[in-house]
Amino acid sequence: MNIVVCVKQVPDPEQFSKITLDPVRGTIRREGIPSVMNPLDKHAIEEALIIREKFGGRVTALSMGPTQAKETLQEALAMGCDDAVLLCDRSLGGADSLATAYPLADAIRHICQFDVVVCGNDTVDGATAQVGPQLAEFLEIPHVTHVTGIEFTSERSWIVKRAIERGYMKVALELPALITVLKEVNQPRLPSVIDIMSAASKPINEWACTNLSLAAPIIGLGGSPTKVVGSFEQDIRRGKDILKGPEAEVVGKAIKRLKELGAL
Amino acid sequence: MTTNGEVWVWAEQRNGRLLGVSLELLGKGAELAQKLGVQLAAVLLGEKVEPLANELIAHGASKVYLLEDPNLKLFQSSLYTRLLTDMAQRHRPEIFIMGATTVGMDLAPSVAGRLKTGLTAHCVDLTIEQINNKPLMVAAIPGWGGKIMVKIACPDKRPQMATVKQGMMEKPKADAARKGQIIREKIDVRPEDMKARTIEMVEEKPVGVPLEEAETVVSVGWGIGSEQNIKLARELAAALRAAVGGTRPVVDKGWLPEEAMIGQSGKLVSPKIFISLGASGAMAYAVGFLKSKVVLAVDKNPSAPIFEMCDVGIVADLNKLLPVLVEEFKKVTAA
Amino acid sequence: MDFNFTREQDMLRNMVRDFAQKELAPRIPEFDQTEGEWPYDVMKRMGQLGLTGLAIPKEFGGNGMGHVALMIAWEEIARVYATWASHLRGFVLPAYAISHFGPAWAQKEIVPRVCKGEIQGLMSLTEDTGGSDLANIRTTCVADGDHYIVNGRKIMQSRYSVSDFYTVIAKAGEKSFNYLLITKDMPGVQIGRRENYISCTTRTALVGEVIYDNVRVPKRNIIGEEGKGFKPVLTTVGAIGRLGGAGISLGIAESAFDLALKYAKNRKLYGKPIAELQAIRWLLVDMHTKVEAAKYFNYQPSWALDNGKKPHEIAGDLARAKLFANETALDVCLKSIEIHGGYGTTPEFGVIQKMKGALDQMTAAGSNQVMKRAMSEAIIGTSA
Repeated sequence: MNIVVCVKQVPDPEQFSKITLDPVRGTIRREGIPSVMNPLDKHAIEEALIIREKFGGRVTALSMGPTQAKETLQEALAMGCDDAVLLCDRSLGGADSLATAYPLADAIRHICQFDVVVCGNDTVDGATAQVGPQLAEFLEIPHVTHVTGIEFTSERSWIVKRAIERGYMKVALELPALITVLKEVNQPRLPSVIDIMSAASKPINEWACTNLSLAAPIIGLGGSPTKVVGSFEQDIRRGKDILKGPEAEVVGKAIKRLKELGAL
Repeated sequence: MTTNGEVWVWAEQRNGRLLGVSLELLGKGAELAQKLGVQLAAVLLGEKVEPLANELIAHGASKVYLLEDPNLKLFQSSLYTRLLTDMAQRHRPEIFIMGATTVGMDLAPSVAGRLKTGLTAHCVDLTIEQINNKPLMVAAIPGWGGKIMVKIACPDKRPQMATVKQGMMEKPKADAARKGQIIREKIDVRPEDMKARTIEMVEEKPVGVPLEEAETVVSVGWGIGSEQNIKLARELAAALRAAVGGTRPVVDKGWLPEEAMIGQSGKLVSPKIFISLGASGAMAYAVGFLKSKVVLAVDKNPSAPIFEMCDVGIVADLNKLLPVLVEEFKKVTAA
Repeated sequence: MDFNFTREQDMLRNMVRDFAQKELAPRIPEFDQTEGEWPYDVMKRMGQLGLTGLAIPKEFGGNGMGHVALMIAWEEIARVYATWASHLRGFVLPAYAISHFGPAWAQKEIVPRVCKGEIQGLMSLTEDTGGSDLANIRTTCVADGDHYIVNGRKIMQSRYSVSDFYTVIAKAGEKSFNYLLITKDMPGVQIGRRENYISCTTRTALVGEVIYDNVRVPKRNIIGEEGKGFKPVLTTVGAIGRLGGAGISLGIAESAFDLALKYAKNRKLYGKPIAELQAIRWLLVDMHTKVEAAKYFNYQPSWALDNGKKPHEIAGDLARAKLFANETALDVCLKSIEIHGGYGTTPEFGVIQKMKGALDQMTAAGSNQVMKRAMSEAIIGTSA
């Protein structure tokens, strides 16, 4: 079976509070924030490896990003992926989810005759959760999102458990297909020393737009249907009636004020 | 690209019940439609769901596109996507918005992907603005940290699409006397629609009032300090018939479940009264409750940002204040 | 000079950190219990991950990633739970000795199993005559045909009651010592009494005596050359014992510093976090400086061993690493306790456990005074 798993390098979520927005340029300032693999992508890789263990085949890790994203692909190789592709081209930058899914789909078609594509449900930066389903659309395959479990009832048709707000759905899925996973789906394995050492000998192919077909210009800032048209500061200030003093007194005053505001 | 100009709202139903967020979107949809001078339509898929069409009309839809079929009873990603994109290609709506539920977050990008149009997720607000002499839907989403809001639009592709979380918009009042049109659309089901086929849905009954629907919310931050105090906070919530939520640190500690998290990456609440106990007011948290009508905040640090975001604030040590607060609120609700 | 770790070394660090945080940290209360079975599954897991085999050649079942990698593993595990870092040193010591000095049959049969985490050995050296004075040990091995009869009592033996084999230094004659591989099933091997060093009272730590009572050991079990037992012992103690001690102390020091920094930023006195008070700031700066220096003293000789140097060529540097890291750990732990104020000695804040670990590392695998002796030899020359 040919499995492709999509991964993304993101700023370390533990350090998000340090990221600021440049109010003048509207761009994100994240210098000095270390990058990590998007946490859900570890679960996506693990699921891809589980599928390979069950049915045999190859797992290719794919990422679209700057050269630094190679680090994330190395981690994917260390976890057990067979090879990796980095799609790296300036003209792909500034893309919204559609203009991300389109070149990714193009790349996947060039990688292999795929059977399964696995993605994390969403990323910690952006968190639109849109790329997975849009990737499935461009690949013209069915998909299931919010996956929390898979019953591999046969090689090409599975029963996939898919979370909803308070419960789940079960979906009968036929390959080729795309799934996006939540953290409940599995426990990602730790790479052993041998895994880490053998990652260096596994290939990471670097591709640019010239390696793709790109029949339509759905790439980059220009190819993104959504555009940033401005920004503003959210005014979340309110009445600010601040009370201090003995407990019984302030509580009494607060309740009185709430009644005046019509809340009680 | 010509459009028929309609504003469409996808009306999500489960087990024959309309989800609250769909009704909230009708309220916003009506606003957008009115500004554009076009009709507001709801799109409803399911099996034997016609009574819901009337409910949609009562909440403001001038039209309901009704697609009924046994195959549509449960959400079917491939089938729903094809039917909706077919409809969008035939009727050419200007705007198509959906609730950011686990299903909406799947369906919206699928439809937008197939139509190759723009989609903005987790919008905090939707407005109409003149941009380059065109009236466009502008979606506001929180930027990094939440204080700055970024405005996104889809100038060229159609329909302009967005998903919105429950609790962001106000539910319109129902008016049973409102009249509207129900248009029954023809369905066909093809083999390729069934490659991802939902065979079962299991829903658990919510424990207590779900946060997004609660009229009163009691929220605890890290300053609550102890499980003992969480107990008191729950007592307060019980007395007020409120839902209980909290901040990321409280959830990470295990004092509250993941579903109870309020904030940019959690639930958005818009109750009549929001009571925040022991949260300093980080921006990512503030986005979660900024639509509340009235906010009461308690924290021990007088310079905590939360005091900029409340209507009434109390600077106090929760260990001393909370028991008194619970007592007094109990008296008020008993009265 | 390239002061960067390789990409593999960084990935290894991330893996060990994940392992320590996800698989060890949640079990600390379990590891700290005084009663219960020794946690064999952790040894197995370390083998499975390849940690035990880091400085063992591939041909003997290790992965040969190297001494820098092993230092990373000691450091990152000791940051979370020093006893397991100490055990990682303990697993490697006898396997390393056999890998470099034989016997060939043990290289095939024993070392791979240690690397897999299936069995464990213990380097059996210290006696009540003094670990610092190994030449005066009283354990004897008397030749008897193609066997040696071993008699003696070793103390301060880590994992004394759960080890599968022991590599024992025994006196054969006035200037003749043998380093012998003894397995637990050999008649005469006795588990002695438990010894309660300050950080070794848990079910995980297990330190005590092993007694060899007329144990018949075949000559094929000699490690290194007959009569020249000190060579494998000193080489192994230098490369693994001292660097292991250095790594464990570094991890202890780093985590004690992290606790102090976190506490100082959150604890308010006089209306502001104590991290804003100059006295505290200067303490933290001193602690940071020593920890960073210890990293260099630890990684430089590790790198040297990976790049062709032999342990005896850099004996002074190996000793310096252990000495400096442990002095740093003691100093940083004490300062961390100070910064925590009264809470510093309560178990909830975690600092006192670090101090206990640092105290035990003062003398483990060579006391700090023995390190100074080794450094004197290296820098000044042999004393009369």
